[in-house]
Amino acid sequence: MSEHNAHTPNALVAIDLGSVTTRAQFFDAVEGRYRFIAAGEAATTAGAPAFDINHGVLQALAALQEITGRQLLNERGFLLANDNEGNAGANALTATFSAGPPLRVVTVGLLEGVSLNSVNNLVDTFHCEIVDSLSLGDRRSPERVIDAISQHLPDLIVIAGGTNRGASVSVVRLANYLALALKLLPEDSRPPVLFVGNENLQTEIETLLSPLTALYKTANIRPSLDHQNLGPAEAALGVLLFEIQAKKLQGLEQLNRLAETRLMHNAQAFGRTVRFLSTVIDAPKGILGIDLGASSTTIASSFAGELEVRNFPELGMGRSLNGMLAETQLQQITRWLPEDLPEEFVLDYLYNKTLLPSTLPSTPQELAIEMAAARQVVRLAVGKSLGMFPSNAIYPLMGTVPWFDRILVAGSTLARHPRPEQSLLAVLDAVQPVGIVTIILDQNNLASTLGAAAAVDPLLAVQVLESNAFMNLGTVIVPVGTPRPGSTVLRVQVEREGRKEDVVEIAEGKLSVLPLPTGKVADLFVQPLQNMNIGLGPGRGGWIRRVVGGSFGLIFDTRGRPIQMPTSFNKRQELLQTWERTLRGGI
Amino acid sequence: MLAPITYIQPLTTLRRTRYLPVEGSIVVGLGDRLRASDVIAHTGLHTQHLMLDAARALGVPANRVDKFIQREVGESVDEGAIIAGSRGLASRQLRAPAAGKIAAISEGQILLQVSDESLHIQARVPGLVIDIDPGQSVTLECVCAWIQCLWGNGLSGEGNLHMVADSPQHQLTADQIDMSLRGAILIAGHCNQRQALELAGQVPIRGLILGSLATRLIPVAEKMEYPIAVIEGFGQIPINADAYKLLNMHNGENAALNAESNDSYEGLRPELVIPLSEAGRPPQPVEMQSFRIGQTVRVLSGRYKGQLGEITDLRDNVIYESQLRGPAAELTLTSGGRGRVPLANLELLG
Repeated sequence: MSEHNAHTPNALVAIDLGSVTTRAQFFDAVEGRYRFIAAGEAATTAGAPAFDINHGVLQALAALQEITGRQLLNERGFLLANDNEGNAGANALTATFSAGPPLRVVTVGLLEGVSLNSVNNLVDTFHCEIVDSLSLGDRRSPERVIDAISQHLPDLIVIAGGTNRGASVSVVRLANYLALALKLLPEDSRPPVLFVGNENLQTEIETLLSPLTALYKTANIRPSLDHQNLGPAEAALGVLLFEIQAKKLQGLEQLNRLAETRLMHNAQAFGRTVRFLSTVIDAPKGILGIDLGASSTTIASSFAGELEVRNFPELGMGRSLNGMLAETQLQQITRWLPEDLPEEFVLDYLYNKTLLPSTLPSTPQELAIEMAAARQVVRLAVGKSLGMFPSNAIYPLMGTVPWFDRILVAGSTLARHPRPEQSLLAVLDAVQPVGIVTIILDQNNLASTLGAAAAVDPLLAVQVLESNAFMNLGTVIVPVGTPRPGSTVLRVQVEREGRKEDVVEIAEGKLSVLPLPTGKVADLFVQPLQNMNIGLGPGRGGWIRRVVGGSFGLIFDTRGRPIQMPTSFNKRQELLQTWERTLRGGI
Repeated sequence: MLAPITYIQPLTTLRRTRYLPVEGSIVVGLGDRLRASDVIAHTGLHTQHLMLDAARALGVPANRVDKFIQREVGESVDEGAIIAGSRGLASRQLRAPAAGKIAAISEGQILLQVSDESLHIQARVPGLVIDIDPGQSVTLECVCAWIQCLWGNGLSGEGNLHMVADSPQHQLTADQIDMSLRGAILIAGHCNQRQALELAGQVPIRGLILGSLATRLIPVAEKMEYPIAVIEGFGQIPINADAYKLLNMHNGENAALNAESNDSYEGLRPELVIPLSEAGRPPQPVEMQSFRIGQTVRVLSGRYKGQLGEITDLRDNVIYESQLRGPAAELTLTSGGRGRVPLANLELLG
C-alpha cells in the first residue's frame, strides 16, 4: 500500500476505461459530504492506432481538468496530492475497465449438471467467452477434445470437479487430458490453469500441471453436492482476468500501479455497487442492476447482500450488437419504434454500428433505433439471467423477473438520452418488472466507479449514492394477474403530509402516472381488484409507506406481462406515443 | 480528441507484421520479396492426434508405465511399430495403429500425431521481408497505393483490378459478370443481388471490392470462397470520391485484397494494397492525429453518411438533431452544402 493510503482520501479521481469511452470522474467533499463533481471524457485508445490506454486516460483527465479548473495533470502525468489543500491533484485514484476482448476460456468439470455447471456459472460472472467445455459426459473422443482445446488457444482454463470427499480418479483423468493439450502448445502459448475442484487433489493436480503452465488453486467451488462456494474462486478469477488483460492492453498495468486498489472489471465493480446498495437501503425483495455497455451487458442482483452477477459479452450496444441480432427476429426490435422505418434502414444502422461502435445517433430516427435495440439487448440479458436469482427470489408469473425493490440502470445508451421518460419506458418495456419497484438511472455513469471507490472509502459510495448523482425515475406499481380487458385493476389512495387524497382507479392495459415530485414522500394505499397481485399476495392490498417521489412520480403499469404489442403499426405507434405522453405529462 | 483514420493513399510505404498464433517455423528470409499468397510460416496447430493408453494396453498401473514406453516425444513411428511393451514371453505390446509422430506423453497416455495439416500462414500483403522475429513474426514492407476498408469476409487474394463500377453509385448485378473476369479483383459500387455474388464465385474471380453491401447479404458474402471487402459499410452508400478516383487510376493493375476481419485490438482492418514499383520510398502514413480545422473527413453515420467534407469549425457541447449533446464539426461537404456532424461520427481520411 502506498504512503498516501495512510489517511482517508477526500478528493478522488476515478477512471472508467470503457471499450468505447474513457471517463475521468472527480469526487470531492462538499460541506463535509462526498459529492460527484464532474467527468471528462475521451475516446478509449486500447486499440488501433494508439494501442495504449494512457492516451485516452490522459485526454479524459485533461478534459476533466478543463471542466473543474483543478489541476490534475503535471508533466509526469496524473497529479497525486498528499492533501486536499491548494485545489490541485487528487488524493487517490481508482479505476475500472471493460475495454479488451472477452477472455477465451475452456471450462472443465466432472458432471455436466454439477461441477461443470458451477464452473460455467463462475466464468459467466466475468467478461469471458466459454470457447469449449469438457466433462465426463463429453461424447467426443479424448483426442478430439485434446485437439479442440489446443486449437482454441484459450486465454485460461478453469477446472472444477469432485466434492472434497468425492471423485478423484476421474478428475485426474480430465486433468491429464489438459496436460496433453498443453503439451501440444509451445510453452509461451500455454494458458494458465485455475483449479477450483476437490481440494484433496490439489497436490496431484500441481504435480501434473504446474510443470507445464502457471497453475492457480482456490477452495473447491462445489465442496459438496448441495453447496456451491464461488467466492474464493471469483476473487482468484478477478485477479487472473486483470493479469491476462494487462498483457493484452498496453498501459493497463501502469494505470493499476497508480490506483489505490487493483483494477477491477466493470462487471465486478457494478456488482459490488448493487450489493452495496442492497445493504445500505431497505430492500427486502432485493435489487436488480442492469449495465448496458457497448461491449457487454451485466446483470447483477443482490438479495440481502447475496450477490449474483452475469456478464454477457455477446450482448452489447457496440460490436456485440451482432450477438443480439443473431438471436433476434427484426420484429422484436421494430415493435418498439415510434416511426415506420424501413426494415433495411434499421438493419443497416445496427450492422454499421457493429463496425463503428463509437458513432452516435445523430438523428431522431437513429436514436429511436438504438433505444429499440437497447430494449431487446436488455430483454435477452434479463431473460438469460432468470436462472441465476437465488432460491428465495419470488416469481409471480412464469417468465417474469422476481419481485424487486429497486432496479438500478446504467450504461450510456440509457443514461445519455435527452428525454429520461424514454429511458424509463425502455426499462419498463425491456425488464417488464412486477410488483412495487423504484427505478434508478445512473445518469452520470458512476455505478461501476462506486463499486471500486467503495474499496477505498465506503463513505464515498454511500454519500454519492444518497446524493442526486443518480436519478430516481420513479416508483412503478405493476399488478400481475388475469384481469378483464379495460377493467379497473387497482384502487389507489395517496396520503401526503397527513392529508388523504381522492381514491384513484387504475384501469387495465395502460400506463398511468400520479405526480410525486423528486424527494417528496407519500404513503399509498393500494387495493388490487380481480385477484391481482402487487407483491402482497393475490387480491391483497395495503399501505405502502414512505414512497419517495422521482422524476416521473408514481407510475402504474397495467399493460400485462408479457407486454403484447399490436401487430398493426398504426395501433402500435398510437400506443407508444400514448405511453410516452403519459410519462411526460402525468395522468 | 484522437481521430479515427481511414487511409486512402495514392503512395505510401506500408509495413505489416504478421504474427504467428503460436510459435512456429518461419519459411522466409530477410530480403525475400513476397507475393500476398506466399506462405511465410507454418505451425502445428491444426494437426490431428490419436490417443493411446499405454497403461491399459500393457495392463500396468499408470504410475509405473513410463519405463515401458520405448519412444520419445518427437520420434516418428511407422504403422505397426512398437511404442510400448514389456519384456518376456507373454508380454503385451502397444503398437502404432497408424504412422505418425509422438506428440506428447502424460500419465501413460500417448498422443500420436497422425496428420500434418499444419496451419500455413500467408503474407496476405505483398512486400519485402525487412524483419523476422524467429518463430514469432515476419515484417513486410511495401511501396504501394493503399485503401482501407471497413468490413471483410476474412479471406485474401490477389489479381488484376477490374473496374466494373461506372460511377460511385454503381449497382453490381449478375449480368455484369462473365467468364472474361476470371481471376480478376472486381471493383463495384453497391451489391444488393445474391446472384451476383454467387456467379462471381463460379467464374471464379479473385476478389471483390464493394462500396457497400446490402445487410441481408452479409451471411452470403461470409460464405463466398473469394475475398470480399466493403469500403463504406452496409446499406446503399456510394464509394467515396477519393477511393473511387484511386481505384480508377489503378484499373488493370495487380493488387492484393486482404479482406481480414476488422479487429481494433489486434490492429486488423481489411485493405487493398496496390504495389507500385520504382516509386522511391515515400513516407509511412501518419498514425495519430486530432481533429483540426481544414482536415478532410468522411461522415460515418447520420444524415450525411458516406460524404466527404472539410472541417471549417469545431464546437463543444452542440445539440445534435437527435437532441444528444457533444462536440461537433462544421463541414463543407464536397458534394456541396454544409453540415454539422458529431465528432464521434467522423473519421479522417489519411
